[in-house]
Amino acid sequence: MKIAVCVKQVPDSETRIKLDAPSTELDQSSFTRVLNPYDAYAVEEAIKIKEAGSDVEVVAITIGPETVTETIKKDCLAVGCDKAILINDPALADADESALATVLTAVLQKDSYDLILFGIKAIDDDSGQIGIMVAEKMGLPHVATITQLDLGDGTLTAHREIEGGKEVVTAPLPAVLTCQKGLNEPRLPSLPNIMKAGMKPIDKLTCADLGLETPAAKAKIKMYYPPAARGECKLVEAEDPADAARELARLLNEEAKVI
Amino acid sequence: MPNIAVFIEQRDGKFKKVAWQMLSEAKRITAASGGEVWAVCLGADPAAEAAKYGADKVFTATGDSFGIYNSELWGAALAQFCTAQKPDLLLIGSTAMGKDLGPKVAAKLDCACISDAVGLTYEGGWTVRRPIYAGKCYIDVEPVTDLAVVGIRPNAFVLEEAAGAGAVEAFTPDLSAIEPKAVVQSIEAGEGGRVELTEAEIVVSGGRGIKGPENYALIEKLADALGAAAGASRAVVDAGWVDYSHQVGQTGKTVGPNLYIACGISGAIQHLAGMSSSKCIVAINKDANAPIFKAADYGVVADLFDVVPALTEEVIKLKG
Repeated sequence: MKIAVCVKQVPDSETRIKLDAPSTELDQSSFTRVLNPYDAYAVEEAIKIKEAGSDVEVVAITIGPETVTETIKKDCLAVGCDKAILINDPALADADESALATVLTAVLQKDSYDLILFGIKAIDDDSGQIGIMVAEKMGLPHVATITQLDLGDGTLTAHREIEGGKEVVTAPLPAVLTCQKGLNEPRLPSLPNIMKAGMKPIDKLTCADLGLETPAAKAKIKMYYPPAARGECKLVEAEDPADAARELARLLNEEAKVI
Repeated sequence: MPNIAVFIEQRDGKFKKVAWQMLSEAKRITAASGGEVWAVCLGADPAAEAAKYGADKVFTATGDSFGIYNSELWGAALAQFCTAQKPDLLLIGSTAMGKDLGPKVAAKLDCACISDAVGLTYEGGWTVRRPIYAGKCYIDVEPVTDLAVVGIRPNAFVLEEAAGAGAVEAFTPDLSAIEPKAVVQSIEAGEGGRVELTEAEIVVSGGRGIKGPENYALIEKLADALGAAAGASRAVVDAGWVDYSHQVGQTGKTVGPNLYIACGISGAIQHLAGMSSSKCIVAINKDANAPIFKAADYGVVADLFDVVPALTEEVIKLKG
């Protein structure tokens, strides 16, 4: 069995955005970059399947600059992925979700994978599109936002999170899945395994290596804006908590008109 | 003149409110720029309500393919609709179903797909505003294809009645060639009863200040009194006190309700990111220096164990 895990390096969730006024560019130079937290669930699930079976190979696939290799080594290869593929092509700097899905599809079609795993979304652009687009482009079934996975003989059963409950979905392999928090608890890499990860292969490719012309973006970012500024916080002061609660309820009802 | 198609989501014949919000916004745009608003629904007939919120035409497909949601059948039906009718935009609510369907349809039609938008502007071309980094920053995006599929965040647009003609149009997608591979076998209800986080107009969240899982009931009682959804900070979810489906923040759900009440939440940046687009934010925390007060409109510096039950009583009295 062969499993692909498509991952992305993103700014850490503690990152502060430096943007005081609307701008055509966003300064990302000071960002600390980590594996997208949702992708860690995809990596962990693939490794669990590898550990439970025999002859399972796990390949981590990513698109980004050379600097993503440290994240790939530490958070993919050191925790159990067997190899990695990095598509590093400066021509993809302005790629949108559709263009990236086209590139990933080309990479995935060079081999034969039984399962293709993604995180539900990346926490930087928050789009959550690429896994579903790749499935459609490859003509494969997908189950998005899964919180439980059971593999059968050439089939899978997954729990998919929906409003107020879950759907139980079955699909034949090969299939594309997007992984949600709750699916598993991602392990941390050990120091010896981080050292050994340096020995595992990382194939580095460009669009040309994939026989692909750089796909054009279908949507373009024109402007970045800081969030709207908030006014001062109005503190409700009272000796007695019951009085504070009464005054707060009055303000929310009469002034803010939200209850 | 732009024609805007709006997907009217339904489960078990119940329509999602975000559908009416999208119709309202589409009507406001076409009232200024010309063009029509088209409601498109699979599996139920929304004509009466769609007309109330401004739909000029209503396309409804019914039949066995549109019982329980199936991404392959429903995606193909919407793609066929777009190919036949050629709308400028297809708006789909950012719900569990919408987030599944939007990228699927866009990939089929090889067109632009923009997720979780909160603003639409038409000036000969479209500009779509959406948050990134869970709301730490916003971007304006311009689609370059003739059709764009745009996901719309629930509660981003104001609901407004505006009569449309609501003319019922025939819509019979041909799905005979499709044998769905991924199939929903059953739907299991969760805790039930309470409003869903991302669609709620009011959210009450608890953080580490609740001290233990047994005290989350305080949050739920206030939520129930307000008809609100119950949320939680990452600390509370990671401690195992509350199910992950309640988590608000950059690694949980992003919410933008009319009212967000943060109880015993310090306000880590990744939590603030997930709720800062809320229209009114209330912080209840005994630490006056907690960063949550910088993000809040109203604050109470006091122990949540005193204030939250008292506030629940006040709300019950108000609603009495």
